[in-house]
Amino acid sequence: MPQEMIALLMFSTMLLLMMTGQRVFGLIGFVAVLASISLWGAGGHTMGFSAAMKLMKWYPLISLPMFVYMGYVMSESRLADDLYRMFHVWFGRIPGGLAMGTVLLMVLISAMNGLSVAGMAIGSTIALPELLRRGYDKRMVTGVIQAGSSLGILIPPSVVLVLYAMIARAPVSELWLAGVMPGLLMAGMFIAYIAIRSAIQPQLAPALSAQERAQITWGEKISTLKAGLLPFAIFAAMMVPFINGYTSLVESSVIGVATTVAAAALKRRFTRAVFENATRNTLGISVMFMWVILAALAFGAVFDGLGAVKAIDSFFTEKMGLSPWTILIMMQLSFLVMGMFLDDTAMLVIVAPLYVPLVARLDLGIPPDQVLIWYGVLYTITCQIAYLTPPFGYNLFLMRAFAPPEISMGDIYRSVTPFVFVMVAVLALIMAFPNIALWLPNLIYPN
Amino acid sequence: MGALPRPLIGFVRHVDRLNYGLGRVAMYLLFVLMAVLLWSSLSKTFFNPSLWTLEMAQFIMVAYFILGGPYAMQMGAHVRMDLFYAQQSPRRRALWDAFTIFTLIFYLGVMVWGAWDSFSYSLSLTWDGFIPELGRLERSATAWRPYLWPIKLLMLLGFVMMLLQCIAALIRDIAKIRGEDI
Repeated sequence: MPQEMIALLMFSTMLLLMMTGQRVFGLIGFVAVLASISLWGAGGHTMGFSAAMKLMKWYPLISLPMFVYMGYVMSESRLADDLYRMFHVWFGRIPGGLAMGTVLLMVLISAMNGLSVAGMAIGSTIALPELLRRGYDKRMVTGVIQAGSSLGILIPPSVVLVLYAMIARAPVSELWLAGVMPGLLMAGMFIAYIAIRSAIQPQLAPALSAQERAQITWGEKISTLKAGLLPFAIFAAMMVPFINGYTSLVESSVIGVATTVAAAALKRRFTRAVFENATRNTLGISVMFMWVILAALAFGAVFDGLGAVKAIDSFFTEKMGLSPWTILIMMQLSFLVMGMFLDDTAMLVIVAPLYVPLVARLDLGIPPDQVLIWYGVLYTITCQIAYLTPPFGYNLFLMRAFAPPEISMGDIYRSVTPFVFVMVAVLALIMAFPNIALWLPNLIYPN
Repeated sequence: MGALPRPLIGFVRHVDRLNYGLGRVAMYLLFVLMAVLLWSSLSKTFFNPSLWTLEMAQFIMVAYFILGGPYAMQMGAHVRMDLFYAQQSPRRRALWDAFTIFTLIFYLGVMVWGAWDSFSYSLSLTWDGFIPELGRLERSATAWRPYLWPIKLLMLLGFVMMLLQCIAALIRDIAKIRGEDI
């Protein structure tokens, strides 16, 4: 059998097996070890375990459990309550204001955290019940929380960009900086969408009543601003030493944990229950990620052995004779489609090693040392979209788990549509104007 | 239908308890990891950088997630693509799982095999009949030069326990198909 066919067979078997609903890591690992044993005989059996040794050497991955832990401490100890209150008193008076405030809340949480789980947890425990109680449209609310929390992987710190950095062998610090402007742009466009939508249909997102507005004094408005100091303190404690090169990425993530725990303890909210829940849930989420990555690494190693990268590469550039931009757009489209059906972490570890070398070779008119930084941002936004697109998206499932029963799966699926369009628009903008992403890293690291 | 044989039920209970204990210990490795990394940043800033922190952190992370695997499975943390799966009755799900769990058992079997090979390599293990003999011990190729067999032993243990947890899950599914809960 030609090697491309074997690669295709492996991929389709994996997709088919996923439909059975068995644990994702086991299915990927099964296809990987079965293929390696049948291709390379008895010696092929070590491939699965070699992936574990390889994973051990991925030092930056240690930041993953740290960011997960930070996120859980933040949501379990309800550290973000005061932050939500701040946006509530400042933005409540305009139609859609509370939804806009939720987007800004998500931006701040994203700046303290590397995944979307924390944002989802905080958004659905604080913002969701409050907005529903005030008569906001349930689809608008769930959409805002899902889309807003996905900013967690674009705005630094970002775990997805750490994984990407390991695959692309690009510096994490520049990738993180590259995510800042696109993240803010996306948040701005979410807010613009909410503003336009609630101006047209104010019944979807009512403003606070005059009576309630009268109760909010200027004194309270000013005093709530103190809450805003916390995210900046945590962000600075992590990022300043890291960007200046005093600490490594992993060490910075531990400083972030220490700062978050200290903040929770100072507010006397770091209780035994918070400690137990945060520690246990961190184990669950981190272990889940790691086992998927472990299996996907073995899968990727078999793909590598088959020369699948070269096959895809020559298929696009030589056989099809496509222009670099057409290839790039096709890659993003195929990635979006795969993202609908595949587990996102697995996709990252399996598909990124196929696409990244190809992008590095395309002539897109961007300096070669920056093209992978720029692509990292495109890549992350595509992952964000994958988190939101049915049938398989982490945020959709998380939303289902967090939302009250009157919100149906159909509501959740429909709620993300406008936000997915906004994200695709941002993706297109960054493809057309690479400097949106590259401006900040070039400013801080001129060379 | 009669109840499942008692030894099978006993096996499930024992595996569950053992893996729960193992997972609870692994869970706290997170704080050991933090301590090592904090020490690393402190020592780098104020004294000579330590040689051992980077690799030690890597060992702890691997132990954390491999030994925590079975406990995470008990918590139901391992993600499934449950588009169709979630809509089935618990019994139908057990039926599906009883078949598809063989993919996990196969994968983990191969992982145990690979881990055993790698572990015996790290000890240069040779067999004189049933008596093992140690040869040259494998060390990591870094300045600290730690022995590699302890971490490989932990990984082997983790994969074996994960395999046992999957077999326990299979037994539990079979029980559920027959209308029992263990």
